[in-house]
Amino acid sequence: MGKTILGIAGYYHDAAAALVRDGEIVAAAQEERFTRRKHDPSFPVNAINYCLEEGFVDAADLDAIVFYDNPLLTFDRVVQNACAGARHGDAAGARDLFVQAAGAVLGDKIWVNEHVRQTLGTPGRAGRVLFAEHHMAHAASAFYPAPVDSAAVLTIDGVGEWATTTLGTGHGRKLELFAEIDYPHSLGLLYSAFTSFCGFKVNSGEYKLMGLAPYGRPRYTGRIREHLIDVRTDGSYRLDMNYFGWLDGMAMPGPRFADLFDGPARQPETPITRREMDLAASIQQVTEEIVLRTARHLRRLSGERNLVLAGGVALNCVANGKLAAAGIFDDIWIQPAAGDAGGALGAALLAHHMAFEAPRRRTDGAGDTQRGSYLGPRYSSEEILAFLDRNGYP
Amino acid sequence: MRQLYEYHPVVGYRYIPRLRVRIPHEGGGYLIQVNEQGFRADRPFARARTPGHRRVLVFGDSFTAGDAVPNRQRYTELLETRLPGAGTPPVEVYNFGLSSTGTDQQYLIWREFARDIEHDLVVIAVFVENIRRVAAQFRPHHDEHGVERLYAKPYFRIENGTLQLCHVPPRREPYEEHELDAAQAAAVDHGGRFLMLRRMVTKLGMRDMVQHLTQYQPLPHYDSPASPAWCLMRAILAQWIRALDGPVLLMPLPLPQHLDETCDAAPYQARFAELAADVGCRLHDPLPDLLRIAPATRRRLRWDKDIHFTPAGHDALARSLQPVIADMLGAGLARAS
Repeated sequence: MGKTILGIAGYYHDAAAALVRDGEIVAAAQEERFTRRKHDPSFPVNAINYCLEEGFVDAADLDAIVFYDNPLLTFDRVVQNACAGARHGDAAGARDLFVQAAGAVLGDKIWVNEHVRQTLGTPGRAGRVLFAEHHMAHAASAFYPAPVDSAAVLTIDGVGEWATTTLGTGHGRKLELFAEIDYPHSLGLLYSAFTSFCGFKVNSGEYKLMGLAPYGRPRYTGRIREHLIDVRTDGSYRLDMNYFGWLDGMAMPGPRFADLFDGPARQPETPITRREMDLAASIQQVTEEIVLRTARHLRRLSGERNLVLAGGVALNCVANGKLAAAGIFDDIWIQPAAGDAGGALGAALLAHHMAFEAPRRRTDGAGDTQRGSYLGPRYSSEEILAFLDRNGYP
Repeated sequence: MRQLYEYHPVVGYRYIPRLRVRIPHEGGGYLIQVNEQGFRADRPFARARTPGHRRVLVFGDSFTAGDAVPNRQRYTELLETRLPGAGTPPVEVYNFGLSSTGTDQQYLIWREFARDIEHDLVVIAVFVENIRRVAAQFRPHHDEHGVERLYAKPYFRIENGTLQLCHVPPRREPYEEHELDAAQAAAVDHGGRFLMLRRMVTKLGMRDMVQHLTQYQPLPHYDSPASPAWCLMRAILAQWIRALDGPVLLMPLPLPQHLDETCDAAPYQARFAELAADVGCRLHDPLPDLLRIAPATRRRLRWDKDIHFTPAGHDALARSLQPVIADMLGAGLARAS
C-alpha cells in the first residue's frame, strides 16, 4: 500500500503545501494563491486544504505530515547569534535581536505540531509531525522528481537552520549532503542585501534585481570582491560581516554599504538610476562566478554527470543559463519551485524515500516526475458555470 | 473554500454536480463528494432498483446531508453498511439531504429528483427547526467566503385548503434588505427570535450556558396543533406522505437543547405523533434513544461550536434507526412475497 504524505512549508515566506502519494506528486500549492497575499508566510491552511481535497484524502489517513525545516536547529542559530552579539559588547542590541528573532521562531515554528492539530484535527498516522532539515528538503525537491537515477546536488539559499549552501549527491532513493557553508556566510543573503540596497523588497524583489542587471555595467564587481566577499577557487566564500546587518540587527546591508557604493540606499518607488543598474550587474556577475565555481568543484568531488539544483538562488535563471552553457555537467534539472515553497514538496518526497524507504519511481527516459508546474486547483465546467451564474456574468 | 451550490429553478439551489471538496471545519475539515444529480453521494442515483437490493430514500436538511462529516460517516452510509442481516439482501440508502433547506424544499427535491426512483422505503428526517424555514420566504445563506446573502426560497402557502407553491422559480440574485416590503421582511428566517442577543451569546461561546440558565423554548410553533406554522408544515408533510406509494418513516430530529434537556420536546413529539397517526405512516422519534446516553457522552454527539452531529452523533442516530428500518424493510418484503 502506497504512502500518502503531506509536506508543509511556512512561517518565513512562501508558505506552501504538497501532497505525495506513493511517490507521485498529487498536488502542490502556495498559500499566496488562496489568500492573495504575496509570499504569504502564514501556516498554509488553504494550501493544505486544497492538497487534501485534490488527493481526496482524510487527514487522519495521512501516513506522515512533514515540516520542511527543523525549528530547534533554527532556534539554536538564533540563540548563538544573540550570544555572539553580546560577546561583541552590544548586550542591549543582542537582547532585542534575540527577542525579535526568537519570537519569530518560538511564536510560530516551534508550535507547528499544535497548528497541525488545530488545522487538521489529527497529526496523521505517524502520531506526530515529522521535521526535515531545510536544505535536505530543498535537495529532495530537486533530486527525486529529476529524470536521473544519480546526480550531484547543489542547494543555495539565504539560510535554512544553519546552512546556506550545501553540496551532495543522490543515488536511487538515497540522498546525502556532504559539505555546506554555514550562516552568516550566505550567497542568498548577499544577493538580498543588494536587493534591499537597490530599493526592492527582500525575498521578493530579487528577480527585479536580476532583470535590472543587463541594463548596467559590472563596475562594482571589484569592490564587492575586495570588500564584501572572499571567493575561493572551489566556490566557497566568506562574507565580511562588517558590511552586513543580519548578525547584529535585522537590516540586510549595514551602514558601510553607503560608503562603498557611492551614497545611501535607493528608496523604494523612487527612480532607478545608473548606479542601481550597475550594482545589479555587478552582484549578478559575482553570483554567477560563485555558482560556476561551486558547480565545477561539485563535479570534481562527486564525479556525477548530472546536476540538480534548488534553493532560492536557483531561481536566478540567468545564473542557471550560464551554468548550463558552461557545460560543467551533461544535464541540469532545476526544481521549478526552487524557493521555500518547494520545501513542502521536498519534505514530503524526503519522507517517502528516506523515512519510508520507498524506491523512486523510474522514469525510463520519459522525463521527470514533477508533472509540470500546474499543480494547483482546477475547476470543473459545472463549478465555473455556477460561479458565473451566481455572480451575474453573462 | 470553493462554491458548493448552484442555482436550481425549483428547489432554489443544489450542490454543484460532481463536486469533490474539502470543507475546513472545527473538527479539522471533511471531504464531500457530490454525484451527477447534485446530491452528496459517492455514486449516481439510479432510477431502477439494483437487482437483489432493497433501497431506502432519505430526505432532510444539513443533519441528513451530513454537514461537518464526510459522506461515509453519515447515518445513512452507516445504515447501509449495517442493515444487511444474515440471509437478507443488501440495502442501498440514497441520501437526498440538502443543507439549509426547509421541509418544503425537501418535498420539492422529492418531486424534482426522486419521484421516479424505485424504492422500498422513504425516510423523511425533519430537523424540528425546519418549521421556521417552512414559514419563511427568504433565508440568509453564507457563501464560501462567509458573506451572508439573503435569497428568496420557494415556499408554500395554504389557499382555500390547498397548498400553493410560491417563489418558483426563485430570483437568482440575492436581495438587499431594503428591497423587501414589511410583509416580506417579516418572512425572513433569521433563525428565531432575539437575533442580536443570540449572535452575541454565540460569539461569546456562552450558548449552552445561557440556554441552561434560561431554559429558553425556541420553537413555540409546536405548542398548538392550530399554530399557522405547524398547519403549514403538517399540510406539506401530509401531502408528501400521501403522494408516496410505499412505506414511509417520519423522523423528527431534535434540537441540541432537546438533547441537553434544557427545553421541552413534548410539543413537537405530540404534533408529529398526531400527524403520523393521521396520515398512516410510521413515526420514529430517536430522542428517547439519544437521551439514554450519559450526558457527557451525549454532549459529544455534536461539535463544540457547530450544532451538527459528530461522527458519534451519526453513529448514535444510525443505531436508533437501524432496528426500525430493518423491521420496515422486513415487513415490506413479507408483504411483497
